[in-house]
Amino acid sequence: MRFRGKLVDVACLNHFTRVVNTITKLAKTCTLRFTVDKIYFILNDKVANGGVSMWCELNQENFFDEFQMEGVAAEDNEIYLELTSENFSRALKTAQNAKAVKVKLTNKQCPCLTVAVELPSLSSSSRIVTHDIPVGIIPRKLWNDFREPSVPDFDVSIYLPVMKTMKSVVDRMKNLSNSIVIEANQKGEMNLKIETDLVSVATHFKDLGNPPWVPEHASQNSTEKRHPETMAEARIDIKRLLQLLAGQQVNPAKALCNILNKRIVHFILLHEDFSLQYFIPALT
Amino acid sequence: MKCIVTGGNVKALGKAIHSLARVGDEIYVEPLQEGLSMRTVSASRSAYASFLFAPLFFQNYQPTESGYDPDSEAFRCKVHMKSFLAVFRSLPSLEKTVEKCLLSLNPHASRFRVQLHCKYGVVKTHDLPFQECESLQADFDTSQCAHALRAPPRLLADAVVHFPLALAEVTLVASPAGKVSLRSYLEGDTEVTRTMVTELGLNEDEFQTFHIKQEAQITFCLKEFRGLLSFAESSNLSLNIYFDTPGRPAIFTLDDAVLQVHLVLATLEEPESCSSQMTSCTPKPLAPAYDFTGDDIDDYMIAMETTCGGPAGTEPLPSPTFPMGPTSSEAQEPDSDHEGTVPGTPPQKRVRIKGLPQTNYRHEVKNVALPICCFVVLLGTCKMI
Amino acid sequence: AGIFQEFMVQEESVMFRINLSVLLDCLTIFGTSSSPGTQTALRMCYRGYGYPLTLFLEEGGVVTVCKINTQEPEEILDFDFCSTNVVNKIILLSEGLREAFSELDMTSEVLQITMSPNKPYFRLSTFGNAGSAYLDYPKDSDLIEAFHCNQTQTNRYKIALLKPSIKALALSCKVSIRTDNRGFLSLQYMIRNEDGQICFVEYYCCPDEDITEQEI
Repeated sequence: MRFRGKLVDVACLNHFTRVVNTITKLAKTCTLRFTVDKIYFILNDKVANGGVSMWCELNQENFFDEFQMEGVAAEDNEIYLELTSENFSRALKTAQNAKAVKVKLTNKQCPCLTVAVELPSLSSSSRIVTHDIPVGIIPRKLWNDFREPSVPDFDVSIYLPVMKTMKSVVDRMKNLSNSIVIEANQKGEMNLKIETDLVSVATHFKDLGNPPWVPEHASQNSTEKRHPETMAEARIDIKRLLQLLAGQQVNPAKALCNILNKRIVHFILLHEDFSLQYFIPALT
Repeated sequence: MKCIVTGGNVKALGKAIHSLARVGDEIYVEPLQEGLSMRTVSASRSAYASFLFAPLFFQNYQPTESGYDPDSEAFRCKVHMKSFLAVFRSLPSLEKTVEKCLLSLNPHASRFRVQLHCKYGVVKTHDLPFQECESLQADFDTSQCAHALRAPPRLLADAVVHFPLALAEVTLVASPAGKVSLRSYLEGDTEVTRTMVTELGLNEDEFQTFHIKQEAQITFCLKEFRGLLSFAESSNLSLNIYFDTPGRPAIFTLDDAVLQVHLVLATLEEPESCSSQMTSCTPKPLAPAYDFTGDDIDDYMIAMETTCGGPAGTEPLPSPTFPMGPTSSEAQEPDSDHEGTVPGTPPQKRVRIKGLPQTNYRHEVKNVALPICCFVVLLGTCKMI
Repeated sequence: AGIFQEFMVQEESVMFRINLSVLLDCLTIFGTSSSPGTQTALRMCYRGYGYPLTLFLEEGGVVTVCKINTQEPEEILDFDFCSTNVVNKIILLSEGLREAFSELDMTSEVLQITMSPNKPYFRLSTFGNAGSAYLDYPKDSDLIEAFHCNQTQTNRYKIALLKPSIKALALSCKVSIRTDNRGFLSLQYMIRNEDGQICFVEYYCCPDEDITEQEI
């Protein structure tokens, strides 16, 4: 099992750092999966995270100048690691004006993901900073726990409003309530609502648009049966939602959410070179 | 004692107080003929800092009251660090609004007064409670130290910035071959499988003085060092580091025409029995963990077999973060010491201190403050005179 | 009422109680810093006793409706602070007080204010764990816009009671500090809002009793 990647381009490095920072805001520990052409950040925590799960996927060639990996075996050419995401973003933080950064799998006092940063110095030679991030190697028999979550058979699919607006609304609502009701229909309308003894607040978004899902999608039948104005709703933990909104350092090219009435809200944030899916289960 | 500080020196004084505050809880003020001395020692006596401001630092400096015999001993006192720090708390506003600072110590009136003359004629007066005391002096000699380094403050500030603020100690390794490295020091109670280890390499040519006789390695507290660095950076003074074998104090100094600064830090004494474990936990000092330029595929080989469906006895490696599910035939107890089974992980470190029973610290909360018991306490070298 | 474009009250006066922090969160639902080019519009309605206070906010086509439940009003505490009884009055630029208040020694229970026609003119003192500190403003300082002190008054006020006024101080451009013959303190903050309209926020505080009794 080997892995080694090198980032040279400053823009790519900054971008990769932003992705890792976003992950850090969403998951304290996460699973890192390497395949020949992709890197995944996965959170499949069933209980500890309130049933939230995350799936982030990026093409390595959009970020890395060099990328070599050898999986566990030829037939399973993948690597699954588990790490504290904050360590990773802290290591990358020190690489802000680096000439180059290497990320590789090493065997130190324990298996480590080593981030080696080459920094400019005043002398002829560069300064090298290395960060050894302890990782846990996930054995093959557990890989099944980290499969891509299946997209639920949702009732409504809608584009999200401008992240910034949504964030400030949810941020205020968080001061007033612990849970938020998110509801939307197939007419491009979405409402965020809270209700407490003191106050009820509802924010109405309209003309958001609904993504045209390919007809062969499993959900097609259920969506068609619904009246376009009928709302699908879910009450979710407001902190989880805010975590997602606050973690977005860049406005995604496309952001949408799928609601399975009273069951789950599925967010999909599509950036140019990576995608993030986030599942928040409805509170009962 | 009466002295007046003006202009940019007010901020320098403020910065000095801030950096002293990283070390101790009390500040010893002693007006001497050669200048105003401010000193402090940490509660555990493992760190000592002294600032000596020469008479030229002040617009006006009177160590003793006029009319007194100039040879007579000046009155010394100690003041709570918190009281002193409160006066200089906000450095930006100090720089922006304060034009003049008056320090006066009047033992007869029992008054230690700090007065700040600000913009618009506003005057802030602080009367600080104080205690008369003996002189605080630490016994150290830079000429007795085998090794010396001198570096611009920027270099060292840029180096420590890579280490997390929560990290208590750092190990400095210097070799005659011209390499200096700083490395996170993991305390005995640290979970090796959780904590990131950072190492930074510097070259001889970045230092102004590089005097290393043989391979040397010391471990010291970062907090006080950061405090001194921040002062050195703001006044752009190069930092001298004098050190010797592990366990002997390291001395950090700054020199200027109007200012002399000393910081003495205890260094960690690594018992022989422990050092073998230490080196197995951390990269070898002389061979840097990583050579950036010349690595090829062989460098990052990791032999870690996780084959599934192996012989019946093969158990998956336990996960350090998630409790194991019912995947292994013998369900592990949730609180079992499963880290210990990861190959490559050394047995849990135990800190052994001579004269103390062997202690296992691993369940204690990580202490950010000085791990007093790990240090050779300066007591005896730092005595009241 | 000048800050509203439309203001209509059908009864003589309407009074109810609402939770202030809830109102603040509702008013800032679209964020506190208005991004350039966007403005939040607000309509506030109250139908009468027993009804909630309803807020309609709109920004960039997004509408938020807030219904804040109203409560029975409490009787308003009247300090009976009358300008004819004012003994000392100082108007100063808020800038001069801002730093002083931000650096107040919070370990001191009280803030002692001295206003006097003679030296030290205007002095703020604290007595905390870190020793005592006092701040003197000269009468002719550029910070002081008006100085009308008729007699020397020294009063102590609980810092905890004054602390909430720091928020208003932060927004204000000028502050008028007045004390009456009983030693009651009035802090009047002049706040200029974005449209250049002027609002006043007033704080009243009674002196710490121990000291006034001593002085009488």
